[in-house]
Amino acid sequence: MIRPVEGWFAKVGRSYRVTLEHAGALGMLSWDTLVSIATLKVRLKDILTQLHIMGVQSLPIVFVTATLAGIVTSQQGGYQLISSSPQYILGTLVVQSVVLELAPLLTAIVLVGRIGARITAELGTMVVSEQIDAFKSLGRDPISIIAAPRIIAGVLTMPLLVGFANVIGINAGMLMADFDIGLGRETFLYGARLNWHSWDLFYGFAKSVVFGLFIPVISVHMGLRTRGGAEGVGLQTTKAVMFMILSILVIDALFPPLLLQ
Amino acid sequence: MISYKNIHKAFDIPVLTGVDLTVETGEMFALFGPSGTGKSVLMKTTLSLVVPDLGDVEVDGLSVYEGPSSNLEKIRRKIGYVFQHAALFDSLNVYENVSMGLPEDEISRLTTAELSRRVWETLEIVNLEPREILSKLPSELSGGMKKRVGIARAIVGRPEILLWDEPTTGLDPINTAAVERLIKRLSTELEVTSLLVTHDVEGGLQMCDRVAMLSGGTLRFVGTPQEFRDSPDTVVRAFVDRAAAIAALDMAVV
Ligand SMILES: Nc1ncnc2c1ncn2[C@@H]1O[C@H](COP(=O)(O)OP(=O)(O)OP(=O)(O)O)[C@@H](O)[C@H]1O
Ligand SMILES: [Mg+2]
Repeated sequence: MIRPVEGWFAKVGRSYRVTLEHAGALGMLSWDTLVSIATLKVRLKDILTQLHIMGVQSLPIVFVTATLAGIVTSQQGGYQLISSSPQYILGTLVVQSVVLELAPLLTAIVLVGRIGARITAELGTMVVSEQIDAFKSLGRDPISIIAAPRIIAGVLTMPLLVGFANVIGINAGMLMADFDIGLGRETFLYGARLNWHSWDLFYGFAKSVVFGLFIPVISVHMGLRTRGGAEGVGLQTTKAVMFMILSILVIDALFPPLLLQ
Repeated sequence: MISYKNIHKAFDIPVLTGVDLTVETGEMFALFGPSGTGKSVLMKTTLSLVVPDLGDVEVDGLSVYEGPSSNLEKIRRKIGYVFQHAALFDSLNVYENVSMGLPEDEISRLTTAELSRRVWETLEIVNLEPREILSKLPSELSGGMKKRVGIARAIVGRPEILLWDEPTTGLDPINTAAVERLIKRLSTELEVTSLLVTHDVEGGLQMCDRVAMLSGGTLRFVGTPQEFRDSPDTVVRAFVDRAAAIAALDMAVV
């Protein structure tokens, strides 16, 4: 009778400890990155390479995602409008949904797949093939050579990509509103302005910076903890993706109580 | 001189349970042991690539785990490490890989011509044709070539101590002999201290001044090659006999 209960407590205790360990290691990794930036150990060339991979190469997929998000919000919003509500409300709805929620969240999810998984697999492979050990044995610091450029690039890229997604999403929504319920551009924008606070833009921006930090930090952290061969790399990459998506959803849920009152 | 003092390391299960070993300066030392006994783990503790749960390593009087962190930097400069799986950097070509073996300040001190001569010479030492492979990526090399590029990277900085983790595994007999000669030459001519992990027991016994055998988490044997051959210990015996049998088989095949 006692065993299952004990087992349950042990399990809770263990996952609590594991969570704390991860949190501690993530903090350390961020700190080490800051130190290597402050001591100018990070090479600009490495950062630019990562900016290209994360930023420029992500534009097509972010374009597609944001377009679809704008179109779908516009259509569903239009469908829900009842005859008595003013049509310009659709402008408010589309712009608010895109800027506050859809652009940051969807861009982050896309980057988890495009960037996060890639980083974990890349670093995981470097761990299991002893390349990380080789860096250390040669007196090089894997944090400033490998981790820091990816983390810096993530923090810089994400807000820019989200800005891009905002523009694309809003325009797609506006076109769709015209096509779907014949709502003109002027009316759409009138609705958008009616309820607009510049705080909203900051809110979306703040979210994107936090996501842009978490994706590379988690993926680097998980990559460096990879154990055992090719199978280990696959397993660790899957874990990292789950970990990143969950963290993003949790952070996203923490934002309204913290910043929207 | 490298001293391992009471090294303990457990992962999910205990791997090393109290290893004490001293490798003298200028000595050639071979470490044998069945697969998975922790030979690579022990070697990695020398450079803090694996941190022991208990115990310390001293290199030329500098403590890795109980001294200041600057010790580790000094020690890493003294030591060249040949990794079991070559561990070349995927995204760098052979030239860049080998030059990574030099400390950063030394690279910036050398002119491009000096650096490239240094890399060139080192590749020739390990029996590779520089012209053909300098600009190749590791993925374009055979396993044996990777291994030798890994050796070149470890020796290009002219270290005082070399840690060889199975340098000849996966090499053909000609290159095995060449690498063995190289290890021998480095230690006799340049007085490099060598710690060699190998499954080639016969080769190890012929080359080295002393040998040890790791088994069940501790050193089962430490002594000269002759003592090793004559050891009454059944575990050591089994190892010697099997190695002899395999060597005989090799001879028959070749
Ligand atoms: N980073 C690690 N995480 C977890 N376990 C590890 C790690 N490194 C090594 N081990 C385990 O430690 C044990 C010893 O490994 P090690 O690589 O030292 O063996 P070895 O004696 O070098 O074997 P081989 O001759 O096959 O190279 C193995 O059981 C291995 O699974
Ligand atoms: Mg090994």
